[in-house]
Amino acid sequence: MSHFTNDLKKGIAAAAAVATLFGMAACGSSSGGSSDAGGKTVIKFLYATGDDTWNGTVKALADAYNAQSDTAKVVPEPLPAGSDYATAMKTMDATGNWPAVVDMRDTVTYIEAGKLAPIPEEVISLLSDDAYAAYKDGNVYLVPAGANNGELGINIIYDKDYFKKHNLEVPTTYDEFIQLMKDIKKNGDVPLATAGGEVWPSDQLWKPLASAVFAEHSADGAGFWSDVKDGKASIEDLKEPLTELKDITDKYVLQGWQSTQDAQTTTLLVNHQAIMATSSAGLGRLKDINKVDPNYNAGMFIIPDENGRINVLKNAVGDSSQGLAISAQAKKDGKQYDAAVDFLKFYYSLDGANEIEKSGTIAPNIKDADQITRNESIPGSSDYYDLMKNPNLNWYVNETPWTEFSTFNSFFRQARIEMQTGQTSIDDLIAKTQAEFDKDIKG
Amino acid sequence: MASTTATPKSAAQRSRKYMARRNKITMFLFVVPMLVVFLCMVILPSLQSLQLSFTDWDGISDTYDWVGFDNYVDMLTSGRFWNAVRNTLILGIGSAFVINLISLGMALLLDHIHHFSGFFRTIVYLPALVSAFIASTIWKYMLNYNFGAVNSMLRKAGLAGLTRDWLGDQHIVIWVLLFLICFTLGGNTTLIYLSNLQSVPQELVEAAKVDGANAWQVFRNVTWPMLAGSVTVNFTLSLIAGWAIFDQVQVLTSGGPGFVSETMAFFVYRVGFGEYRAGFGSAAAVILFVVVMISTVISNKFLRDREIQA
Repeated sequence: MSHFTNDLKKGIAAAAAVATLFGMAACGSSSGGSSDAGGKTVIKFLYATGDDTWNGTVKALADAYNAQSDTAKVVPEPLPAGSDYATAMKTMDATGNWPAVVDMRDTVTYIEAGKLAPIPEEVISLLSDDAYAAYKDGNVYLVPAGANNGELGINIIYDKDYFKKHNLEVPTTYDEFIQLMKDIKKNGDVPLATAGGEVWPSDQLWKPLASAVFAEHSADGAGFWSDVKDGKASIEDLKEPLTELKDITDKYVLQGWQSTQDAQTTTLLVNHQAIMATSSAGLGRLKDINKVDPNYNAGMFIIPDENGRINVLKNAVGDSSQGLAISAQAKKDGKQYDAAVDFLKFYYSLDGANEIEKSGTIAPNIKDADQITRNESIPGSSDYYDLMKNPNLNWYVNETPWTEFSTFNSFFRQARIEMQTGQTSIDDLIAKTQAEFDKDIKG
Repeated sequence: MASTTATPKSAAQRSRKYMARRNKITMFLFVVPMLVVFLCMVILPSLQSLQLSFTDWDGISDTYDWVGFDNYVDMLTSGRFWNAVRNTLILGIGSAFVINLISLGMALLLDHIHHFSGFFRTIVYLPALVSAFIASTIWKYMLNYNFGAVNSMLRKAGLAGLTRDWLGDQHIVIWVLLFLICFTLGGNTTLIYLSNLQSVPQELVEAAKVDGANAWQVFRNVTWPMLAGSVTVNFTLSLIAGWAIFDQVQVLTSGGPGFVSETMAFFVYRVGFGEYRAGFGSAAAVILFVVVMISTVISNKFLRDREIQA
C-alpha cells in the first residue's frame, strides 16, 4: 500500500513536471492562423479604442464584411482597457500573437523592425493617390483608417445655442479666438475644457497653436521637425505658441484639466461646465455628444492663426502617422495575409465606405469618393464638411521619419504639461526639449 | 552473534536511506513545475534585463547595439530619474511607516473588541480584497475635480474653498497617492498583527498587571516585544510593496502632471514600454532591484537585531 502511495505520488509529480514543460513550450508561440467551423480563415483586427463612434464603426464594418465573405471572418479585437498602445503592441509581439490587421501607431519603429508586410497594389489602387505614401524602401505599409484629412479632426467643439444666445461668432483669427474666450469669461462662464489626465490629448490645444510655425517650415521642405534636425530651426522657434498655450491654460481653461480624461470633456460640455472643449475625434466627438444629449446643439471650428489661416497637418508621414497595416506574421502564414487583403479591399470598396459613413465616421479617401452616401445626420457635421471646403484652409507637412520620434514626442508632451502646470518655465521647457531632441533624434 | 545482529541493522539503515532518497526525489519532482515556471518567467528574464541594460534595444527590433554604461550614466544624470527616486522614497518608506502604525492601532482595537468582532475584522480587511487597479479606478472618479464625489460633497457642505484637483495639483499629488496606497494596503498588515496579538501569552499580561503595570506599560514591556517578528515581516513587506508601487500611479496620474508623480517602477515601465527604450528601462530596473535589495537587507538587519533583544 505504502509502495503504491509512493508510486502514485511520484507519478503525479512527474506528470506535473512534464505537463509544465509542455505548457511552457506551448507558451512560446501561438499559431498565426486559424479556421472556424465553416472553413473560413479567421483573422483578428486589432484597433485602438478611443471614442465610442470608432468602436461602432469597427464592429459595423466587420459585421458587414463577415456577412458577405465566403472565405474569411474578421474578429475585431480592441486594445485591452487601461493599457497603452506601446505596451499592448510589445506584449503582442513578445508572445508572437500579431493580429493580421493592425490599427497602427509609431509606424516607422515597426517597419524598421520588420513587423509589417507591404500592402499590395490591389488594395492601394482603390485609394486616392494622395491618401497614402510609400516608405523609403518603395513599399506602402500604411493605409488610412478613416478620411485622410490630416489633422482636421483636431478642433474645438462648442455650444452653438450659447453662442447664439450671447451673439458670439466663430473666430476667424487668433485674436478673435482670444476675444471670444474673454467674452465668455465676462458672462461668468468657463470658456474652454481640455484634458491632461492622459498625456496624448495635450496635443489638442497645442497643435493648433503651433501650426502657424509648423506651416512656415512646410513650404520648402519636409517641415518643422526636419528643419530642427538639419539645424535650420530650433525649439526656441516654438516660444510664441508655448507662451500662448500657457496664457490660455492659465486664463481660460476649466480648472481640473490636469486630471481630466479626453472622453470626460463630453460630460463637461453637456453639463455646461464649459462652453467649448478641445477634441481630436472629428465627427466622432459630435456623435458621442449627440448620444449623451440629443438636445445639445454642438458645432466645431479650428483655431485660426493671426492671419486667419486655418493651418492643418496634411497626411502625417513618419513615426507619428496612423492607419491600417498588415502584420508580417500574417504574411508568413499566407492564408491570413490573403484574408487581410480581402478585408482591406472591402474596407476601401464603395460598400465598405458607405458602412463606415453610416456608423458616424468619415470614410477613407477612395477613388469612388464622389459616390459615397455622406452621413449628415449628426448635428454639427456640416461644420466639418464646411471646414474641408474653407478657402482659408492651409495644409502643411511635418514629416518625422525617425524611429526615435515617438520617444521624443512622449517626452515633449509630458514636458509641456509640466510647463502648463507651472512646474517649469517656458525657457526651461525649451532648453530641455532641445536637449532631448538632440539626444533622441540628432544623436 | 555480533555479525548476525549487525546485518539486519545495516539493511534497515540502507532501506531508510533509500526511502529518504526516494522521498527527496518525489518532493523535488513536486517542486519542479513551479521551479520551471519561476526560472522561465522570473529568473531568466531578470538576468536578461541585466544584459539588456547595456544595450540600446527598443524592445521591438531583432537587433541592438551595445552602449556600455551609457544608459546608467544618462539615468543618474537625469533630473527625471531622481524625481522618481524621491517619490519612491516618500511612497515606499512613508507607506511602510504609516501602514504599520495604522495597522497596529487597528489590530489593537480589533483585539479588544468582543462584540461583532467578525464584522469589524471583515470591514477592516475588505479594501485589501479589491485589486489596486480597481480601487484606484474608483478613487480616480471620486477625486475628479469637476464631478468627483469628494469635491461635490465639499461644495455641498459649503466648503468649496477646500476643493482641490487632488490628482492634478503637483504640490499635493504625491501625498494623495500616499494616502490612497495606505488605505488599500493596510488589510493584510492588520491581519498579521492581529494574529500575533492573539498569540501573546495572557499569563505574561496578567503577571504584568498583578505587578501594577498600567495599559501603556503592559503594551510597551510585554506586547510590543512579543510583536517583534510581525513588525519585521510587516515592515519588510510594506517596504518592498512601496518600492514597487506601480498600479496606483499608472491608473491615477500616469506619472503626471508632467513627470511629477513618477515612481521608479513606473519610470521603468514608461521608458521601457511607452518610450521604446527597453535598454534604458532595463538599466532603471537593475537600479530598482539593487535599491530594493539593499533597503530590505538593512531593514531586516535592524529589525532582526531587535527581535533577538526581545
